Amino acid sequence: MLHHIENKIYHVEILPPKQDTEKLSADLALFADKYNKALEIGSCICLTDNAMGNLAFQGTEVIEELNLPVHSEQIMIHLNTFHTLEDLRTILDTCKKIGIKYLLIISGDGSDRLPKLQSTDLNLSNAVTVTSVELLHYIHHEYPNDFILGVAFNPYEPPEHEFHKLERKLKAGASFIVTQPVIEKNEIVGQMLKLYPSVPVIIEAWMSKKLHLLSEAVGYEIPETTEFDPVETLKTLHKIYPNCGVYLSLLSFKTQFDLLNETWI
Amino acid sequence: MKIVVCVKQVPATNEAKIDPETKRILREDIKAILNPFDHYAIEEAIRLRNKHGGEVTVLSMGPDKAVRVLREAISMGADHAVLLNDKAFGGSDTWATSYALAKAIKKIGEVDLVLCGKQAIDGDTAQVGPGIAAHLDWIQATYVMEISVLNAHQLKVKRMNEMGYDICLLETPAVVSVVKGINVPRVPTLKGRIASDRYEIPIWRPADLGADIEHLGLNGSPTRVVKTQPPAPRDTETKLIEGTPQSCAQSLIKELRLRNLL
Repeated sequence: MLHHIENKIYHVEILPPKQDTEKLSADLALFADKYNKALEIGSCICLTDNAMGNLAFQGTEVIEELNLPVHSEQIMIHLNTFHTLEDLRTILDTCKKIGIKYLLIISGDGSDRLPKLQSTDLNLSNAVTVTSVELLHYIHHEYPNDFILGVAFNPYEPPEHEFHKLERKLKAGASFIVTQPVIEKNEIVGQMLKLYPSVPVIIEAWMSKKLHLLSEAVGYEIPETTEFDPVETLKTLHKIYPNCGVYLSLLSFKTQFDLLNETWI
Repeated sequence: MKIVVCVKQVPATNEAKIDPETKRILREDIKAILNPFDHYAIEEAIRLRNKHGGEVTVLSMGPDKAVRVLREAISMGADHAVLLNDKAFGGSDTWATSYALAKAIKKIGEVDLVLCGKQAIDGDTAQVGPGIAAHLDWIQATYVMEISVLNAHQLKVKRMNEMGYDICLLETPAVVSVVKGINVPRVPTLKGRIASDRYEIPIWRPADLGADIEHLGLNGSPTRVVKTQPPAPRDTETKLIEGTPQSCAQSLIKELRLRNLL
């Protein structure tokens, strides 16, 4: 992951098509277009896992179905705890088979329709529920040396709790960190960088102009009328966090993608 | 084992509006989904087929757009799907609906087991499964949480009741309605979805079923909705517990015990 930061490789989030889409072919074509564009400019493609609890197809099955190229250094998938054990193993085995090595392990957002991993699935005797920590343990144990595992860090949670959780995640096998969206200098992120100077950290940059959508994540109300320039904010984040990578969420491929080459220089 | 799963397309929200004149749900402009309880019936049918062989047919009665829920079932792994679609079916209550579905099950032929979700979330009646059994004159079990196949003609089911559960032996053919928790329904794969988009769903009309038109739609529906009204809002009170985590937890336990919730 350090290699991504040193070589100024952006992490570009792409959402696989949703399960309830009525225009699957068009959505798959759009996915392939974004995937190939991101691959071509050398970005690391990050594929979400039922983001926000909305049922979507797995990135791995879309890659296989569309026969898309996989460059190990240029792809990362999110993996959360809302799967059956069988599905989890299918995803991990597919990753291994097609050469995906970066996994971002998160607890994830569930929904009524999504199954949840049980502690019995993972043969855990000391945990009641499966969180990202237990999932990390499991992958680390069952797939030793196959994957490079990352975890999320949320600077908007109570710091003591979040740092404790981060410590457990790192002990469970995580070797890089991706933050929740950051829009300015963040004191808690600063503390985390000081605490773990040798762990590669990727700052998530919010690329939507609709900043108010972040209200729930940051824990306070952002008015809908708030003006926000994502590209300028991105440039500022590079200055504030020169030793961190950057994860671009909700990037517009129509209006922002072509600017990426001249943003991180 | 030849299994038919009866499914329904329902409004995605429990806040669906009711037409004040007809007392029927206004289905336009509301996102429609597969009845959540039907996922469990489909999953159980697929598991039984995978274990014991046979085939799974998914059956629904509804408007043109109801093909979407049938395609979802196909994408989960069902083998076939049939939609009962005709103006004559419109306005059917649970009795007329179960008559039409029973006729379709007879047409499919040699069915061993009919599975339904325990109820649909729009009407909440839980009557269609038992209605199908009545029309077919087959044995039935409702609120089933476990199904075992004993032999080609006998099933053992575990069904919930108010005090616990019953273990019942059923001779096939039988109708079984299943509860949430009987299994964990699978999420469709992309391959399954692509196959379901290519599947051509046959549409059956009343004449295809040999159904008596007088037993369908409003004519065949003895139910009369006299009045509907939303339930009164709940009178709730929020109590804030303050203090250390330990004292908050102790206070919460005390409050829950006082309300017989622990």
